Amino acid sequence: MTSARPERSISVEEGEGCLRGQFQAMASPCEVLCEIDDHSEARRLTSIAAAEAWRIEDKFSRYLPGNIIDRINDAAGKAVAVDPETSQLIDFAESLHNLSEGRFDITSGVLRQVWRFDGSSNIPTAAAVKKVLRRVGWHRVKWNTPQLQMLPGMEIDLGGIGKEYAVDRAATLLRDESVASFLVNFGGDLAVVREPRRRKAWKVGIESANTKSRDAGKLLSLQIGALATSGDARRYLLHEQIRYSHILDPLTGWPVPDAPHSVTVAADTCTQAGMLSTLAMLKGAQAETFLDAQMVRYWCDRG
Amino acid sequence: MSNKNKLNITSALAAATCTLLGSGAAEPVQAQEELGWGFNTALLYYGEDDNRVQDLSLSVLGQRTYLDDKFLSLGLTLDTLTGASPNGALPQSVAQTFTQPSGGKTYTTPAGEFPYDDTFRDTRVAISGNWQQPLGRMSLFNVGASASKEYDYLHLGLNAKFSHDFNQRNTTVSAGLAISQDELDPVGGTPTGLTEMISASDDDGEDGEGGRRKGPAESKDIIDVVFGITQVISRNFLVQVNYSYSDSSGYLSDPYKVLTAVDGVTGDVVPVPQLPGIDGPSHLYYYEHRPDSRAKHSIYTQGKYYMDGKVLDLSYRYMTDDWEINSHTIDARLRWPTGDNRYLEPHLRFYSQTAADFYTLSLVDGDALPEYASADYRLGDFDAITAGLKYGWKTGGGNDMSVRLELYRQSGNISSTDLIGNQVGRDNYPDLNAIIFQVGYKFGK
Repeated sequence: MTSARPERSISVEEGEGCLRGQFQAMASPCEVLCEIDDHSEARRLTSIAAAEAWRIEDKFSRYLPGNIIDRINDAAGKAVAVDPETSQLIDFAESLHNLSEGRFDITSGVLRQVWRFDGSSNIPTAAAVKKVLRRVGWHRVKWNTPQLQMLPGMEIDLGGIGKEYAVDRAATLLRDESVASFLVNFGGDLAVVREPRRRKAWKVGIESANTKSRDAGKLLSLQIGALATSGDARRYLLHEQIRYSHILDPLTGWPVPDAPHSVTVAADTCTQAGMLSTLAMLKGAQAETFLDAQMVRYWCDRG
Repeated sequence: MSNKNKLNITSALAAATCTLLGSGAAEPVQAQEELGWGFNTALLYYGEDDNRVQDLSLSVLGQRTYLDDKFLSLGLTLDTLTGASPNGALPQSVAQTFTQPSGGKTYTTPAGEFPYDDTFRDTRVAISGNWQQPLGRMSLFNVGASASKEYDYLHLGLNAKFSHDFNQRNTTVSAGLAISQDELDPVGGTPTGLTEMISASDDDGEDGEGGRRKGPAESKDIIDVVFGITQVISRNFLVQVNYSYSDSSGYLSDPYKVLTAVDGVTGDVVPVPQLPGIDGPSHLYYYEHRPDSRAKHSIYTQGKYYMDGKVLDLSYRYMTDDWEINSHTIDARLRWPTGDNRYLEPHLRFYSQTAADFYTLSLVDGDALPEYASADYRLGDFDAITAGLKYGWKTGGGNDMSVRLELYRQSGNISSTDLIGNQVGRDNYPDLNAIIFQVGYKFGK
């Protein structure tokens, strides 16, 4: 979710045995592969998916003044009443906070005031981290649906859930609008609507910034279900030979040590896949052990 | 976190997602790694100027991925070689006649020209197979076998490699071993090193006891050991350093190469009196003779630098061996994307080597024969440069296609102090220009 507002338009082109609708949302290239032949129908369906992605982006972007996130973050200690959809997302985030024993935390975004992951060696001082940590922690938040009250200076950010949620929402809308099979792909987080008929499965490539990685360039086939990837090999800090991943532990305020570069998980929905990959990243060196215990298929890139 | 919690995460997450999305239970995911065959094919033409060696080569490499990073690759290469190759003798101001390696016949080189043996014609079939197997999460084991057959040559090889990742996979160390046994059964038999080229009538083209002075098949064994370390320096910089040791033993001479015996003052060839009815060499030539062992040490270092989609690949190799050949190779490639799924890749390579200690232009008639001698231009002091350009793109069907054109130029360095009499002013090193053209096509998984 970003402040830059790129032109909101969609295009439809011929793909391999499908029509490919494309647009930009949430700072990512998005596509809807449709197993249909009618260009205007593909355009209509892509517009529905795009409208949902843009709606979610506008509503939950932490950069857009006046939206619900801005009003919560700008409340300066006052309670804010939220709408049902926001309430459900916050409930969901609270469940994840409990499941992860506090490591998944939608209030951890303010840590980025001291941590800037730009490939540089700018490591904040321990004191600076400690200071900002006083404004981090779901346990400091009063959440009585639909009233949310935070300490002044605290912020929430639903960016860690938004994209996967948007994929699942768009998939649900497409399922209601058409009987065809679709692959909804928002910047690499994706879900299949109905098993494809023209092919055995949708083909999806796992990309990696590092060609040395064993899981780089793997081709996956997805008949039904979803895939999501967490992590970004391009975002890190290098300081005194230590590589700091951009995955921050809200309990310590410091990057999770030994986190994989990225984790891709297959699950029934994109939201589940995304949360499992995020939780795995937060496990650092134990990412694979954690995922093994969840009995899910995953691809871990330690480049 | 307790075990109970750990096991409950998946179901708790499923329940929470269900509430969030407000839909019924989603269909269970069905995702697999796409396993199957991928193929890498290439057609390569290598052509030397002056109607020297021409090679047309077709290769197919099939690769099959299995679950858990197991990997099988099978390769097949077919080569057709034609053309002529310098036989090692020097150009002269008179015509020179040589016995063909296969015996029974002669060929004649006009005055002033490099003697080429143009009976060179061969077909080569090569096969290889490799199996890669992960050992735990951080190690890979790779075993392979290879074989190739030409009319007069059989190669059999085995190789194994182990690699281990550590330091968060930023460092990879590897160790490899390869052994091969090659059998050489030269056309017309194996000549004895540093004996005079025999006459066509003496050489019945049969090896062993049938022909005179030519021996049966010979063999050589090669052992290669390589140790390597690859280090990720930063997210876009990768460095690799390898040390390799190669030990060859057995018959290492080229059975088709000869040396010119010359007059110690004039530097000219020494005529051999021709008896009537005997069809043989016009002058005195000796079959070359190389040591029966060779030990090489190489240090190879490579850096790969990624910058906005461009990849710069720079490498340097230093090789030294107990034949006193030292060589330096610098290789540079830059992969330059020129649009969606298209790239240009310029390539430059410089090579320079010193001569083997037994390399000599000619042997002086009347002097005691050395223990070893060869006039093979490939063992001389020379420099070579390769310059090329590759263009690659993705086809409509999503496969990779590439074309590559390279020019190769090799020129010898001969010290004037090594020249005798009339050799000064003559061309004594067969400089080489070659063209390489390759079309590559990659399809399948």
